[in-house]
Amino acid sequence: MSEEALAYRRLHPGSVVLRFLKEAPSTVLALPAGLAFVSQSGLWRALYWAALLGLVLLLINLLSWWRFRYGVGAGEIVIESGVLSRNRRSIPFGRIQDVDLERSFLARLFGLAKVRIETGAGGKDEGLLDSVSMAEAQRLRDAVRAARSENLLAPTEEAATPATPLLFAMDLPRVLLFGLFNFSLVYLAGLFAFLQAFENFLPFDIYDPARWMGLAEEYLPARFSAAAIAAILVLAILLGIVAGVLRTLSRDYGFSLRLEGERFRRERGLLTRSEVVIARRRIQLAQLTTGPVRRAFGWSGLSFQTLGAGTDRSGHQSAAPFATRSEVEAVLREAGPLRLPPPPELEPVSKRHIVRALGTSLFPALTAILLLSIWARPALMLLALLPLLGVWAALERRFHRFALDGDLLLVARGVWRQRLWIVPLKNVQAISLSRGFLQRRLGLASVALDTAGAPLLNVPRVIDLREAAAEALAAEIALRRLLHSGRKSGTER
Amino acid sequence: MTGTKLISLERGQLWLMRVHAAGAALVILAAAAIGETVLADRFELPRGILLLPLLLPVLYFVLLAPGRRYRAWGYGMAEDELEVRRGVWTQIHTVVPLERIQHIDVAQGPLERAFGVCRLILHTAGTLHSQVLVPGLSRADAERMRDEIRGRIREEPA
Repeated sequence: MSEEALAYRRLHPGSVVLRFLKEAPSTVLALPAGLAFVSQSGLWRALYWAALLGLVLLLINLLSWWRFRYGVGAGEIVIESGVLSRNRRSIPFGRIQDVDLERSFLARLFGLAKVRIETGAGGKDEGLLDSVSMAEAQRLRDAVRAARSENLLAPTEEAATPATPLLFAMDLPRVLLFGLFNFSLVYLAGLFAFLQAFENFLPFDIYDPARWMGLAEEYLPARFSAAAIAAILVLAILLGIVAGVLRTLSRDYGFSLRLEGERFRRERGLLTRSEVVIARRRIQLAQLTTGPVRRAFGWSGLSFQTLGAGTDRSGHQSAAPFATRSEVEAVLREAGPLRLPPPPELEPVSKRHIVRALGTSLFPALTAILLLSIWARPALMLLALLPLLGVWAALERRFHRFALDGDLLLVARGVWRQRLWIVPLKNVQAISLSRGFLQRRLGLASVALDTAGAPLLNVPRVIDLREAAAEALAAEIALRRLLHSGRKSGTER
Repeated sequence: MTGTKLISLERGQLWLMRVHAAGAALVILAAAAIGETVLADRFELPRGILLLPLLLPVLYFVLLAPGRRYRAWGYGMAEDELEVRRGVWTQIHTVVPLERIQHIDVAQGPLERAFGVCRLILHTAGTLHSQVLVPGLSRADAERMRDEIRGRIREEPA
């Protein structure tokens, strides 16, 4: 490409300040604070070190900002970085999926945005511009769009861009309601970690058991009274609910999903606003998640598994986290050949699923109880709970259903976390039929479908069909896959 | 799954599996022998407390298991898909549509060379079976399969 013609630009100068502010708490403050704590050398000395360190950090940031430049060329985006060893990366427009924006709270104060150039290669931070002004982000996005539509010889996108129909949005009451279902005790652990980090500044030692005992004795008349335990449990549950609501609010506030030509655009977030684009043809499968209570009220969450590393750690992109059935259907209609099944059409798996599930859960449970009873004899009472495993296994079978519907495989599984996979057969990468030790004794087999970008623990599986039925299902999937993906290549030839 | 008869691997692979098993067994036995000596010194435990219980599993592992594992393997290439079957305890039967294959490796280690076999490794975009392995092929077979699959990938660009 013509290298001279490339008009290089630098990131917004504000990003130096931004990065400094982001790093400051961990380096400038924590290091001298640690030093002061270790050497007892006094406050002024610590402040002096903090100032010096801050200055050095600022200089380094300034230098790397100076040495970082990018430019939009005729067919590519070029990013040059590195203070000492230079690194020149060029990303051809043809490989760019889209440009995602993320605006943290600080960045919004400065009017900046972090731009992530998505290529779908799976590597992280392939093209990260942290950060540029909003106008510049928009310019980059337009440049990529224009170049792409030229490349594809498809002016349809130009026509579709002005009108961006809103597919799904959540207002504040909906987000709050959704938060109630996102019970989370993880944030309590987070709170403890936070306390630990600032332990030195606290007036007491959180790991001093005597102190906790003392507290307990001060406040509780009997050390382990039933009322006290109940109170603590209720408090924990309340905190969990509050944490869930807060987390949901910060992530999903102002959630909106729009359709823009061949892609979905999702915006969400309270403090950190993120704008993510999901290309329609990169959607591999859809997944519906719900729970017993949510299901009763007709709520469920829709996410898409896309090719390339999703920005969600799960490998899935949330498309409608808390939606009614008709809203989910509306989004699915736009997502290609995806649709919801009418519930009664799903078939259950073999009845022996119960026996198999019981077989795999009974043995570890029995061993655990027997081992426990060596240490504490009353543990044997837990044996009375074993029939519950049978009830659970029966429930599991009740909720594990599947159906082949035209060009789709639908699989539902899970009692507490109910998931429904909607897999277009043309996206199937491999089909596998497996028979475990116990399964062979019972004449059962499982069918698993592999799709691109699937998280390992989230693969659509039909577990425990009769062997003949499983073989028939696998053969039918292979046949239909060929039928529905073969049509396209057939016309090409 | 399509009912075609699957082809078993080359005999060389069976010997390779036996050699591998024997090597692993030697390492395990050596570790056990050392552990036993230490235990005998420290706690005055009787000799053979580790080696004797290990003997039977190791014998199974060296004499019987390779044969069973070898017999469990099978592959077959239909017009547009490759089938691979493997596994003794958990039997897994995988079908990979040929047009889904991203790229192909033919690999051969020094031991494999000695036994005249090599591996065909098929990479798909999936995650569960991102690599589908067919071991124990003769060099000629592996290259023939590779060329056949390569032809199909070129025919149908995704």
